[in-house]
Amino acid sequence: MSPGTDNHDLFENLRLELRRGSLILAVLAMLRKEQYGYTLRKTLADQGMPIDEGTLYPLLRRLESQGLLVSEWREEDKRNKRFYRLSAEGKAILKPLLAEWQSINSSLNGIL
Amino acid sequence: MELLESYLRAVKRYLPRAQSADIIRELSDELRSQLEEKESALGRPMTDEEVTALLRQHGDPMTVARRYRQDSPSLTIGWELIGPELFPMYLIMLSVNLVITVACVAIVFLIMHAPIKLEAFVFPVLIQIIVLTLVFIGLNLVRRKYPQPWYYPPAELSPMIPIPRGYSIAGLILWGPVLLWWLALPHFPSLILGSAAAHLKLAPTWHNFYVPILLILLASISQRVISLFHPNWTWLVPFMRMIINATGALVLYFLVFKSHTLVVVADAFQGATQYEKLAESVNGTLLWGVLGPWLWIWAGISAPIYAWYCRPHLRKLLRGKRGGEGASVS
Repeated sequence: MSPGTDNHDLFENLRLELRRGSLILAVLAMLRKEQYGYTLRKTLADQGMPIDEGTLYPLLRRLESQGLLVSEWREEDKRNKRFYRLSAEGKAILKPLLAEWQSINSSLNGIL
Repeated sequence: MELLESYLRAVKRYLPRAQSADIIRELSDELRSQLEEKESALGRPMTDEEVTALLRQHGDPMTVARRYRQDSPSLTIGWELIGPELFPMYLIMLSVNLVITVACVAIVFLIMHAPIKLEAFVFPVLIQIIVLTLVFIGLNLVRRKYPQPWYYPPAELSPMIPIPRGYSIAGLILWGPVLLWWLALPHFPSLILGSAAAHLKLAPTWHNFYVPILLILLASISQRVISLFHPNWTWLVPFMRMIINATGALVLYFLVFKSHTLVVVADAFQGATQYEKLAESVNGTLLWGVLGPWLWIWAGISAPIYAWYCRPHLRKLLRGKRGGEGASVS
């Protein structure tokens, strides 16, 4: 394998690691307002945080099993859709998480 | 929507059973929304090729399901040997193999009118566990290195997914030596008889089966060579393998159940009781072991599976023919 490929793979791994935490925060923040998977994905992409469906749906399920989200099936446009929103526990956790992110962000800005 | 349904069924196969219906319902809504959005942008219904491209982009069914199975059981000793998406299939295959193995060993004892001993089961069962585990560890390694291989696409999607070259090469690596072994057998009977070749010889019945089995092996190798150079000839695999397996099952039926003597005592040792017994034992091993019912069952099961995979190709062919007729009428 060439050094270029190695560097690219390393960058990809680091980028994914960096994105993982931010995506959770973005999803939680977006779900302060109820949405279903497809619109959530589109909104995130429009906001510059594209996420593929293979990552989003398992993430939503994980957050729901952790009690941070609640969901319900409802009909919209003649089709059943699963709507997600932040639970009370999710709301309680989102606040300090955002504060933590802002603190990390300002520290990083200082370092860089 | 037939392609989408088929894709969803394939994903469902690898999902944790308790959540599968719910996950599929949501995945179905997501993919339908994507299809509708594309169709409205195109201003026309999507073609089968376009739908397949979208589904391929979404991911191989096993890989898609894996993302939902992060906490499911797997075989891990320090590092992952068999991943969570393959593990349920491994357990099913292992159970089926062990049941067949135990049944075959018991049948051999019954046929030989010998008392059934527990020790006799230990070696075949251990071999099955070791071989199957190694096969799945290999599959797991391939899946980690090439995470989107689409090795076993659902039947409806298979006409549009090229045969992976690695799949054809693996088949050649496996069946090439078998063909060479078979070609060498008439000249070197010890390759199948071992040390008994000094006292035994292949019976005339053997020669009746030699050419049909040789042709089956040659057809199998040819299919893989053609698929290697023409991976887009997706119809070739199900059609040829259906014929190969159906013929194989027929030949093996006559070989295993209708012929009883594949080897006889060599002319120089005719009449010696010990060699008569040796011939009987070798015949039993060949008919119930090497070329035994397991191979017949395998071919018998594979033929209808490949026939099932022929359906979408036939449907496409008929649709094309009707389209052609329609075009000529207009």
